Amino acid sequence: MSKNIESREDIESQMRAALRPVAPRQAFSRELLARVMLEARPQSRPRFFAAARVRPLAWWLTASVAACLVLAVGVHQHLQQQRLQQSGLEARREVMKALHVTSEKLNLAYEAVKSQSTSLEDEESGA
Amino acid sequence: MTKHMLTLFIALLAPGLAWGASSPKLIIPSFAGLAQKASESVTITLDPALLGMAARFLDSNDPQDAATKDILKGLQGIYVRSYTFDHDSAYSQADIEGVRSQLAAPGWNRLLETRSRKTHADVDIYIMVDQGKAVGLAIIASEPREFTIVNIVGAIDLDKLHKLEGQFGVPKLDIDTSKPAPPQKK
Repeated sequence: MSKNIESREDIESQMRAALRPVAPRQAFSRELLARVMLEARPQSRPRFFAAARVRPLAWWLTASVAACLVLAVGVHQHLQQQRLQQSGLEARREVMKALHVTSEKLNLAYEAVKSQSTSLEDEESGA
Repeated sequence: MTKHMLTLFIALLAPGLAWGASSPKLIIPSFAGLAQKASESVTITLDPALLGMAARFLDSNDPQDAATKDILKGLQGIYVRSYTFDHDSAYSQADIEGVRSQLAAPGWNRLLETRSRKTHADVDIYIMVDQGKAVGLAIIASEPREFTIVNIVGAIDLDKLHKLEGQFGVPKLDIDTSKPAPPQKK
């Protein structure tokens, strides 16, 4: 009987020793906080991403349309610039041609005036 | 009543006619028939917008381009019609008369008239002067197989035209630009 009591007291003391309050390790709270943060992160994602995950097709469609629009505007501007440059070069070529024709005809007049004055001089010297 | 209406109509129309008659811009016919007959034709129509565009594409570092740019500054238009034919007398003087008659209007002065017996080339140069400044130039050159009409509208600086000498083959015409050209009998 007394042996039974002793063994019970022994078990109780062992259990008490095992269940005694122990102070946590120094890194415990830091590790726990890190783990909590890690688990909480997916929940803190913005709604946009959450929506994107829910409707990825709509998101890709919007992005594609936006990219197409940007591309179309870029191509249009490039073509417009090219057309403007072509018109400018054409206008420049026409100006050069017009001035060339003008100078050609002025030359014709000049040659005629020169030959007339030469013939007049010849007539005067002959007289 | 009809008389008054007619007077009023003429009074309203007269300033417009007078303005039209003395415009430095000539009304050049299309010469569609001649263009078809011609072996070579040049049709140049440069309005202020096109002249401005051309000026933007002229390189200021290039001497010829710089001189051209300088000339274009005051211009409002350049109009050229030139037709070359394979045989003589392919065009009649009546074709040119439409333009020549416009040059008889007040404001236009004949600067030069040349008739070459050697080349049978006739060149008439007209200038329109307003307040001592040339505002219009017209050249009518007719040769046996070619005729050309040039009309330059705007503030033509004859000094600058002189500067083009040797670049486009423009000769020195000994034009006194210090005073307006006196009106000559046509």
